[in-house]
This record gives sequence, structure tokens and C-alpha cells, in this order.
Amino acid sequence: MFEIATRRRPYVLLAFALVFQILLLAVQVKRPDGARLIRVWAVELLTPAERAGSWALDSMSGAWTGYIGLFRANRENQRLRAQVGELALRNSKLESSAAEAQRLAALLQFRDAHPDAPLLAARVIGGDAGAARAFYLDRGERDGVQPNMGVITPQGAVGKVLEVYSTTSQVLLLTDKNGGAGALLANSRTQGAAKGTGGPMLELDYVSNEQDVAVGENVLTSGMDHIFPKDLPLGTVTESRPGNPFKQIQLRPAARLDQLEEVLILLSRRQWEWEQSAADAATANAATRSAASNPAGRSPAPGVKPKEPPPAQPATPGKPVQKDRP
Amino acid sequence: MAENASAPPLLIRGVSEPRLEVHKFHTGAVVGASFLALVLQAFVPAHVWKGSIVGDLMELPLLVTLYFGLSRRNPSRGLLLGMVIGMAQDGLSGANPIGLFGIAKTLVGYLASTIGARLDVEHPVSRMVLAFAFFHLHHLVYVVTRRWLLAQMAPLMSVRVLVASLVAALLAWPLFALLDKLRKDEN
Repeated sequence: MFEIATRRRPYVLLAFALVFQILLLAVQVKRPDGARLIRVWAVELLTPAERAGSWALDSMSGAWTGYIGLFRANRENQRLRAQVGELALRNSKLESSAAEAQRLAALLQFRDAHPDAPLLAARVIGGDAGAARAFYLDRGERDGVQPNMGVITPQGAVGKVLEVYSTTSQVLLLTDKNGGAGALLANSRTQGAAKGTGGPMLELDYVSNEQDVAVGENVLTSGMDHIFPKDLPLGTVTESRPGNPFKQIQLRPAARLDQLEEVLILLSRRQWEWEQSAADAATANAATRSAASNPAGRSPAPGVKPKEPPPAQPATPGKPVQKDRP
Repeated sequence: MAENASAPPLLIRGVSEPRLEVHKFHTGAVVGASFLALVLQAFVPAHVWKGSIVGDLMELPLLVTLYFGLSRRNPSRGLLLGMVIGMAQDGLSGANPIGLFGIAKTLVGYLASTIGARLDVEHPVSRMVLAFAFFHLHHLVYVVTRRWLLAQMAPLMSVRVLVASLVAALLAWPLFALLDKLRKDEN
């Protein structure tokens, strides 16, 4: 080792002498900007090391911060996911409430449009487990519900009360094979009978082949069934073709029977019938007096027999007032 | 700078290398000659040959560094002598930062000592050739150092540099013969 050092002594000494003088020069020499060369060199020499150190520290700090941030982000993500779930549930509830409010508003509007009709609002609480197209309502005998009362929505006829229990009742839909209603073509005032098919559609029977029936024509209740009042929307013609002995007419129910949640029960068919008939008669009389030159004015529907008007009494859906039970 | 009397008179650098004599000098001869060369280098161009190109082209410190390097054949001492002479020359010049000539003469002293340990440099012609070559080496290092550190441009080769190198070569002949007189008698 000593020999090597001795042999290399001139090289070491030469390097030392040169470095010493170069540094000496750097101390003396100034750059045009006034900075001494030794300072510039020192900065240039140390800057990469400082930069590397800074980069290493920043990287470590960044990695640690990133790890912590990732951990926090993961927790925040879980929290936000839970929050999103809660909000989605709340949103669903709000949407459901809004839809319910909309439906109830429609029911209320319908009831307001018929202030004298004894209507009872009811909520659908379940479907029928059997083959029949029926459902259950949360109103029963205690609420004044009786069998064969009509069940409607603002959109149109739904069905009739089949069975009544103390607090619930079973409703048979129009579309059930045993369901149906007296029908009336809106344009021609031709009467027929709407029958359930067991499917989503109705069939209008007893319309002669000579009768023009257009697809899209509205069909109303005729009132002849003693369940529904006259001129309540029943359905729309979707298909009409000649048959034997009668036309084969298919109807789409006016009420959305697959989306029933709230309905109205017609508590007194006879009262409704009288009020509706009285209103029709009043309208017809007024039309006759004011427009005597219009003999084509619509006459009261056949089969409607006015009765003695009972004293007027408002009907409340929750607390029906029954003046004349069948 | 006096030579150690116990140093061996011959250095054997390998089997194939020739056995070259290492010359010794009287105590103070190296210092005195170097000092004199520096004084003359500073004094003559400014006072004796004022405005003359001869004084401007003279490089006595370089020749003294070269001579002692070639004669003593010790790289460490050669580079240290060159460094001291060069830094002193920088100090006397006033215009140069200290170290500019120092770096160039450090390299010249080291290389001259290395070459002197391998070649016979006693012949006048070889001394003139070496003086010519080392002048250009010295100038090259000087210019590179000025460009690199001082950012000052200087020509690597010009007529003046060429003439100065020839003057150095011509001066080397009598100067080296004169300096030979300072050697210790080996016998």
C-alpha cells in the first residue's frame, strides 16, 4: 500500500496542484454578472445534490402523503358510497312520495269535480294470489263498502267490489274473465258489453257488424250494469273487425290496471246515478231552451230514470256519507 | 529546493529504459535562478526593451522550469517548481489572476521531469526542440485555461506565438548551458 502510494505520489501531487490552482483561479475570477466563479461552481456542484435530495425527500413525502391520501380517499370513498346509497334510497322514497302525491292530487281533483258523488278513497294493499285478476283494498265493511260497488280511478273504470271484509275488500278487475261493464261507444252512442278476457285487454260485445267502429274511438260506461255511472271512461278501441254474429272489438282499458295504487270506491251507485242523471237532464233542458233550433241536441241517455233528489250532502272520501245504500 | 544529498544518482525505470543521470544543484541555485528569471521577465520588457517585441516574446520562467524539470528528472519536484514559478509570474504580471501561468507551468514541470527521466536531454538540439515544443504546450494550456475559466478568447496559433516559440528555442541553448554551470560536480 505504501509502495503504491509512493509510486503514485506524482500523480496525486499533480492533481492536487492543478485542483488547487483551478480553485484559486475560481476564487479570483468573476463572471460578467459579478458572481465569483467559485460560487457558481459551488452552486452548480451542490445544486444537483440538493435537487436529488429534494427530489428524494419530495418523493418520500409524496409517497407517504399519497399513501395517507389513498387511505383517506378509500375511507372517504366508502363513506361516500354509503352516502350515495342513502341518498339513492331517499331519492327513491321522494320520487315515490311525489308520484303518490301526484296520484292523490288526481284523485282529489276527480273528487272535487264530482262534489256530490259519494266516493271513498282506498289504497291497494295487495294482489290476488289466485288466478283471478283481483286485488285487495284497505277499506271494508266498516267504511261502508259493500259488494258490487264500482271501483274507479280518475282515468276510468277499474272493476267492482267482489268480497267485503271488516277492514278490507276484494276488487275484481274489469279484465278478469268474470269481469265486465256496460259499455257505450262515445261517438255513435251505441251500447254493448265490455267483457274481460283474462288478459290485459277487454272485448266489446254485442255491437252489430253494420256499426262503424274506428280504432282509437273512446268507449264509456253505459250505466246499464248498475255498478258504474254513465259516461265514465272505460277504454279505447284498439282493434275492430267483423265477426259472427257481432263485431269483434278489442279495447284497451282507460285505467292503468297494472299500476293501481290508489282508487276510488263508488259508495252509492244509485245516488250517483241520480245526480248524474239530474245533471244530464238539467244540461239537456238548458240546451233545449236556449237552442230550440238545434233538434239534434243530445238527449239524456236511455235507461236513465230520474229519481227524487235527496238533500245535498258533501261526500268525504275518508268518511263517506251514505244516503241511500242499495 | 536544495537537493537531498542522500538521493541515488541514478534512477532505473525498467529493464529496457536507459540509465539516465539525475543532476543535483547547489543549495539556493534553483531558487536563485527561478527568482532571477522572474525578475528579468518582469523587468526587461518593461524597462530595458520597452516596446520591443523581443521583451514581449521572452519566456524565461518557462525555460527555467523546463530546464530544472529535465535536469532533476523528479516529477513531484518538477511540478511543484513549475507551480511556484507560474504563480509568482501571475502575481508579478498583475493582469492575470493567480494560477493561470501556474497551471500551465505545473504541467510543463511535471511533463519535463517525466520526459527527462526517459530521454537524454543534454544535447543542445534536443533542448531547443524541447523548448519549442514545451512553449506550444505551455501556450495551449494557457489559452485553454483562459477560455475555460476566464471566458477570454486568445489565439491558439499565430505568427507572434510561432516567433515567440522560436525565440524560446533559441534562448534555451545559451540559457541551459549557463544553468548547467549551477550543477554540483558529481565527482
